[in-house]
Amino acid sequence: MNVELTDLTRRFGPTQAVAGVSLQSGPGVFGLLGPNGAGKTSLLRMMATVLPPTSGRMRLLGRDPGDYGPRREIRRRLGYLPQNLGYYPGFTVADFVDYFALLKDMPPGRVPRAVAVAIERVGLADKARTKLRTLSGGMLRRVGIAQAIVNDPDLLLLDEPTAGLDPEQRMAFRALLREMGQRATVVVSTHLVEDVGAACTEVALMDRGKIVFRGTPDQLSARGEGSGAAGDAPLERGYSAVLMTARTAAARS
Amino acid sequence: MTGNPAGPGSGRGVAPRDVDLDRVWLGVAGEVWLRRPRRLERMAALLLRSPGLARALVATPSLLLAWVIATALVLTVGAAATLGTGTPYVALFAPAVAGAGIAYAYGPGIDPAWELGQSMAVGDRMVLLVRALAVFGLNAAFGLAASVASGVAAALAFGWLVPMTAVCMLALATSTLAHSANVGAAAGMASWVITVLAGKAATGSLTSVITDSAFILPYLAVALCCGALALYATRIPRGTS
Repeated sequence: MNVELTDLTRRFGPTQAVAGVSLQSGPGVFGLLGPNGAGKTSLLRMMATVLPPTSGRMRLLGRDPGDYGPRREIRRRLGYLPQNLGYYPGFTVADFVDYFALLKDMPPGRVPRAVAVAIERVGLADKARTKLRTLSGGMLRRVGIAQAIVNDPDLLLLDEPTAGLDPEQRMAFRALLREMGQRATVVVSTHLVEDVGAACTEVALMDRGKIVFRGTPDQLSARGEGSGAAGDAPLERGYSAVLMTARTAAARS
Repeated sequence: MTGNPAGPGSGRGVAPRDVDLDRVWLGVAGEVWLRRPRRLERMAALLLRSPGLARALVATPSLLLAWVIATALVLTVGAAATLGTGTPYVALFAPAVAGAGIAYAYGPGIDPAWELGQSMAVGDRMVLLVRALAVFGLNAAFGLAASVASGVAAALAFGWLVPMTAVCMLALATSTLAHSANVGAAAGMASWVITVLAGKAATGSLTSVITDSAFILPYLAVALCCGALALYATRIPRGTS
């Protein structure tokens, strides 16, 4: 298992962002769905070793990120796209991807080719020498994806990766996800259920810090059948039905 | 994303089957797009034994050209004022300028890719330490040059280096604990202004805080405590499993 979370919690003062999440995942594309404030980003940031958990147990790529050595090894094999990608406006696309390849401790001799591969994979070859300040939001998102995959990670964590991408780019991105998921564990946090349906082998739905559903996209769709839940597509209806059930149960308890 | 299902680089011409154009193209692209590190970065990479850390160093916000020019300008004005009035303004400006530089070296809201940097194998604490040392070194060199240029400096040079260290460490500790460069810079500058004014009120001399050797031990104590606080704030959290 590349990801093993046991009863993981994270508090920010009085707010419990993640409330006892347990999760195991091997290679494949894992979708993390949920409304705003459900705890998806906090969970992803903990898995990215950016945010320490308040309590619980976490093993990533078979290692404990709480210790310096294993954490460094995890980070070498990790790809992370944060929700808000900060960038250096004066860097070119290639500079930016190159910078993070070096910070990931990749052997310098392997970096130029890895940078070229990553930039090609996100379809930005014609913009490789372009300064980031001149790129559109969708292109910047693709630059972010390029830096995340430059080290060919075993664990790829993507927070709202399709934000700002046009439909054609999104389809290509889903193909990239499926390809990456053949070998690595890819965790995609999104609120777009169509991305989950098209690319994910498994999905978890979070609400108020807890996982309230886990299964395949088809199983999520099935939850919506005959439920009368709102939504334009089977997955959306499944999403609404699960959320409705979870909130009703929470209100009763 | 590449829309070509055959993969990157395909469709760039017809070639015999035994020539992998993708591989050739990616090799060429990698070399063409490669950013050639400048001499300073290459030296830093050798010194730090990490090309990643060297690249992080040259991306320090308070080592960018505009910031360096501004620092040099402030200290040049200080040197001119010193020459004109006889008051060692360089020695009074330098700690505050360096404190602000340290606070703006690294952190959320200052380094654009700070969150991403935190997930990297090259640790953010190392990046912070290396950048802080570089900014301090540069400011100390500028301050010394300005002091020498102002003519009154030779005797005072080490008088202001010690308080500068204390102000820098205070700014570093505050910005790290508060997660805000603005708070760190404000704390560093405010503490220095208060110290100078308090020194003047106590002794009648604006420069007593840099000339009186009785202040050296308190400065060093502040620097040590603040350094310990900064190290504590950037510690690697343990016990997550």
